[in-house]
Amino acid sequence: MGRSSRSRIPVAHVRLGRAAYRPVHELQRALHTLRRAGACSDAVITVEHDPVFTLGRRGSLGNLLGGKDQANAAGIAVETIERGGDITYHGPGQLVAYPILDLRSYGRSIKTYVARLEETIVRTLDSYGISAERVEGRPGAWIGGKKVASIGVHVSQWITMHGLALNVDINQDHFDMIRPCGLDVGIASLAEHVEEPIDVGAVRDRWFAVACEVFGWSAEPGPGAEEAGHED
Amino acid sequence: MSERAQGKKMDIRLPDLGEVAETVIVEWLKNPGDLVDEGEDLVEVETEKTTFVVASPAPGRVTQIFLTAGERAQVGDLLGEIEQI
Repeated sequence: MGRSSRSRIPVAHVRLGRAAYRPVHELQRALHTLRRAGACSDAVITVEHDPVFTLGRRGSLGNLLGGKDQANAAGIAVETIERGGDITYHGPGQLVAYPILDLRSYGRSIKTYVARLEETIVRTLDSYGISAERVEGRPGAWIGGKKVASIGVHVSQWITMHGLALNVDINQDHFDMIRPCGLDVGIASLAEHVEEPIDVGAVRDRWFAVACEVFGWSAEPGPGAEEAGHED
Repeated sequence: MSERAQGKKMDIRLPDLGEVAETVIVEWLKNPGDLVDEGEDLVEVETEKTTFVVASPAPGRVTQIFLTAGERAQVGDLLGEIEQI
C-alpha cells in the first residue's frame, strides 16, 4: 500500500500530548474547515485525552450504564459528537489519532479508508509482537476477542475527521461504565501483552511511522515542531 | 445559474462511497422548503462507523424527502429532490 517518495502526500502531524476533549474537538473542526477550503495540507492530530465519554450520531445514552450523573460524579465529561458509531471512552493511557484527510486523494472510498485505519492499528500491534484480529462488519481491532482499538469517522466534502483510539494502558474501571459501541465486549490494552514498560508517546511515534507507510504520507513539520527542536 | 436551470428538478442520490453495501439515514440537515447553496450539507448517512454528509449538487430549494432518518439507503438510491433556483 506504500507509495514512492515522489508521490507521497504531505501531512502535518500535530502532536498534542495530554489534552481535554473539547478544545481538541474545536481544533479538529477548524482544521476540517480549512482543509475543505484547500487552505492547509492533510493533517493528523495525535492526543491522549483527559477522561471523556463520547457519543456518536446514532448512539444511545442507554449505553452509558450509570447515566450522566455517575459519569459526572466520577469527573468524566459526556460529549455528543458528529462521528459514526455509538458510545466510547477516551482517557489517559490511550492513543487517539484524528486524521484530517481529503479522501479524494485516497480513492474516494469509505471502506478503504476504514480498512487502512485498521491496518495502521494491526501493524502497530504487530511491531510489538501482538497478533490482533479484525472482524468483518465491526470496524476496530481485537486481541483474543477483546476490543483493543475503536474507529469512528465523520466525512463531509470528502474531508475526514475523528478517527481511531488504541488502548495502550487504559483504566478498565472507566470502560466498565459503558457498553462500548453498544456491544457487550471486553476491553484489551496493549500493555497487558508486552513485557517491557510502555507509554503512549512511544506507541504514538510507532503508529505515526506505520501510518506514513499505510497512507503514503510524508511528514511535514507540524505546529510546535520548531519549538520542540530548540529545547535546551 | 442560467435561466434554463431555474425551476429544474434535481435528484439527490446517495453517491458511490466505495464498496459500501448499505447506509442508514441519520438526519436531514435541511427541511422541505429550505434553500441550499451548491456544496452545502444536505443529508447525513452512516456506514462502517462513519457518518458521511451528502452535499447539494446545485443551489436550490429542497422540494421532497424520500428516505427519512432510520431508513436504509444503497448507492444510487433516491434520497430527495431539489428545485434549482
